[in-house]
Amino acid sequence: MIDIKQLIKFISSPKVFSYTVVWLIVIVFFGTIAQKDVGLYASQVKYFSSYYFLFAGFLPLPGGRITIIIMTVNLASSLFKKNLWKMKKLGIIIVHIGGLLLLIGGGITAKFSAEGNMVIGEGESSDHVDDYHDMELAFVNTSLEDSLEYTIFDAPLLGEGKRIKYDKLGIQIDIIDHIKNVRIESRISPADSIYKGFLNDFVIIPKQPDKENTQNRPGLIFKIEGTGKETDGIYGAFLGQRVPDTFEIGGELFFTEFRRKRTYLPFAIELLDFKKVMHPGTNVAKSFSSEVNLIENKIPRRVLIQMNEPLRHRGYTFYQASFVDGLDKETTVLATVKNYGRMFPYISSIIMSIGLLIHLLINLPKMLKKRSPSSK
Amino acid sequence: MNLLTKYLFYLLIFTSVQVTYGFEIEDIPVQDEGRIKPLDTFARNHLLAFYGKRSLKDLDLTATDWLMNLILDPHNGRKQKIFNVRNPDVIASLLMEWTTEHKYSFNDIAPMLTGQSAMLASIDQKPSKDRTVFEKQLLELSRNILRFEEISYLKALKLIPPGNDNSSGEWMSPYDFILTGLPMNQYQEKLLGSLQAYLSGRLAKEEHTMQKALLDYENALMSFPNKEFEIDTLRKETWMNKVNLFYISLGCYIMAFIILALSWMTQPLWLSRISIAFLISGTVLHGYGIILRMLIMGRPPVSTLYESIIFVSFIIMIFSLILEYFRRDGLGIFIGAITGSIFHYIGFSYASDGDTLGMLVAVLNSNFWLATHVTTITMGYGASLMAGCVAHLYLLQSLRNPHDEPRLKSIFNNLYGITLVALFFTLFGTILGGIWADQSWGRFWGWDPKENGALLIVLCQLMMIHMRLSGIAKRAEFALGMGLNNITVALAWFGVNLLQVGLHSYGFDDGVARNLFIFIAVELVICFGLYFWPRLKTKPKVT
Repeated sequence: MIDIKQLIKFISSPKVFSYTVVWLIVIVFFGTIAQKDVGLYASQVKYFSSYYFLFAGFLPLPGGRITIIIMTVNLASSLFKKNLWKMKKLGIIIVHIGGLLLLIGGGITAKFSAEGNMVIGEGESSDHVDDYHDMELAFVNTSLEDSLEYTIFDAPLLGEGKRIKYDKLGIQIDIIDHIKNVRIESRISPADSIYKGFLNDFVIIPKQPDKENTQNRPGLIFKIEGTGKETDGIYGAFLGQRVPDTFEIGGELFFTEFRRKRTYLPFAIELLDFKKVMHPGTNVAKSFSSEVNLIENKIPRRVLIQMNEPLRHRGYTFYQASFVDGLDKETTVLATVKNYGRMFPYISSIIMSIGLLIHLLINLPKMLKKRSPSSK
Repeated sequence: MNLLTKYLFYLLIFTSVQVTYGFEIEDIPVQDEGRIKPLDTFARNHLLAFYGKRSLKDLDLTATDWLMNLILDPHNGRKQKIFNVRNPDVIASLLMEWTTEHKYSFNDIAPMLTGQSAMLASIDQKPSKDRTVFEKQLLELSRNILRFEEISYLKALKLIPPGNDNSSGEWMSPYDFILTGLPMNQYQEKLLGSLQAYLSGRLAKEEHTMQKALLDYENALMSFPNKEFEIDTLRKETWMNKVNLFYISLGCYIMAFIILALSWMTQPLWLSRISIAFLISGTVLHGYGIILRMLIMGRPPVSTLYESIIFVSFIIMIFSLILEYFRRDGLGIFIGAITGSIFHYIGFSYASDGDTLGMLVAVLNSNFWLATHVTTITMGYGASLMAGCVAHLYLLQSLRNPHDEPRLKSIFNNLYGITLVALFFTLFGTILGGIWADQSWGRFWGWDPKENGALLIVLCQLMMIHMRLSGIAKRAEFALGMGLNNITVALAWFGVNLLQVGLHSYGFDDGVARNLFIFIAVELVICFGLYFWPRLKTKPKVT
């Protein structure tokens, strides 16, 4: 049987911590360098938010998550050591508790937080958040009397080669291709009759993906079966498509929309006015701000969202992130975050600095003396 | 020490003396590059851009004198060889003759530039990152020529505050009123009138008229409703330009080093006291310069790269003085004098790019968390570099005198203590940075290069401390690690901008990259050299 004491002694050893830190340094260093080539998001996914990654394509190495989990276990178990709980180590104990809290908070944030963008033009309102990275495919039924019926297919369903059977409409969708970044060109020669909708006149061509994932225009090519001879065929869709493809299923008229994954909120935000102020006589922005109505249960409330002054409501936080200059109106971009772990850094930084201060106050005078007491 | 206390007292009085001379032409406010600055700063920065220096020493003219002469006598001003062009390709492309003096006048260059307008337009359309050095310099020269012309007929001098109806906050130049016939309100009229009086007085060399006109000008300025400037602040800036506190501070550091070296050679006590006095005066002036900049701009000590350099060196100076207070054997002076001088030199090379009091983009503007984060993390850089310096000393000492165990141990204890202090500031500063990010754009941590850089410093320090505690590293290895940590600091501080991704990458040029690589190479050689030399020397005895 494994000796529990021995095990705790091993996993709580500062040696384990030292080596995990060395590995973390390696990951952070190379992950940062890699950002120059692959961009921030890709590098984050590969090195920092991963459990493991493949070095040179075949050698699996521990990623940021595993490393930090080991660190957390090591830190937590080190608190069970008997010789730590002494008055003169008070500062050290407090620092380590604070550090543990910080790591736990990081874990909660990594697991449960969600973020995206809310894009609103002046005079318009929005009640949903667009995901930064994930896409979704919507089938919109326009034949109902006073409403639109949306059928949404999520990102995991839209991988290349996936087949979706949707009995309610009696159709089957095969994903032929899901492309990260596309451009659209006119067809030179007439298309095969299997291509329907805009693919009849255009082709979707893959393009080198941009380093910044948000700069990409993803595209989707899929085949629909089970709607009848006329409409069965291969369709295409891409982000920001102006004129959607329409088709009939069982006598009802549908159109498709390939869009950023939406999360609906229990309230809406209406943009009244977007303002930006420049430093006089320059092109450097001094500040920008959005005057909005927060509409909940049809009751509007005026709020000003500006740089460094976000709106917090029902666990969501809206930040003035960016804007789009239009010809006749401006569009604001609000970064939206839902984060359950956001108080952890605040608390843990206070705890850690108190701990370090106590430790320094106890030990520093001794360390700065020219001759240390033990050498006398 | 009593003498030292007295000396400190006088020094404080000297630095707190308010500027007492009257309102001068140098002090009049101009709006330029988004802020209101004294004419002196405006003239210095433009002369720096054209001529490469902040005054015309050969002709014994200050920047403001040069500007006034240009306005009063544009005909001769255009003949003055004021443009410093050091690239022979630029000269050749303008069909001009290459001289060893590198100086050309407006009249030399302007007609040639007109001939190249097609080429200039094509360069202008390129994105700036695709332009070659030659193209950049040619474009800059053409912009400078245009700017020079605008100054000569007062168009670029935005001297007159807007009326009440102007919401953009943009100031106007005398040219706007005189040539385009904008309507004036009574304050603007008074201001323009006294400016004219001053200029005609200056042309006729009538000291009395000039004095009176300036007085009127000051009164006119004061009477403006809702003005956004303080005449006192403008004066402070002019004074700071003239006195140049950081140059004097550099002088003090160099003197401190020379006298310390003398005191080590000859060993009288009073020499080392004088050396301390020089170091303290340098530090006080250094700190006073930082405080003045804060007062002028009304913002925290660090918001640009240049300011971070000055501030980091100030922090190192404080640590050196504290170390010296505890040790009293010159080690603190030694570290302080050397690093203080080096950082002042680096700072001067940054200052030569233009106005060091530039405006900031929206996200970096006025925020409590940003201010505390940047200040704390910069203190962390300073403390880390200080620990690195002490680590170098430890390695040096163990090479020079490996058997003086008490001294080695005491230096090591200093090193360990400073490392803990450094960890406090870097750790806290990094978390504060996360909190700022959470406040401003909703995420605590985004693996942005600058964040990772700060994190790397924290991790390196955590690593060394835990390796020492667990016995993996002995004293010498700890010192080696902390010495090499200087490289991490340099990379986090300057190297991040090499990557040009993320929110933190501000202006950067190739020279910095080169210097950074030189620094890394030198540090590697020094640290490993000091560490391995004694070990290689003793090895043959064992075998």
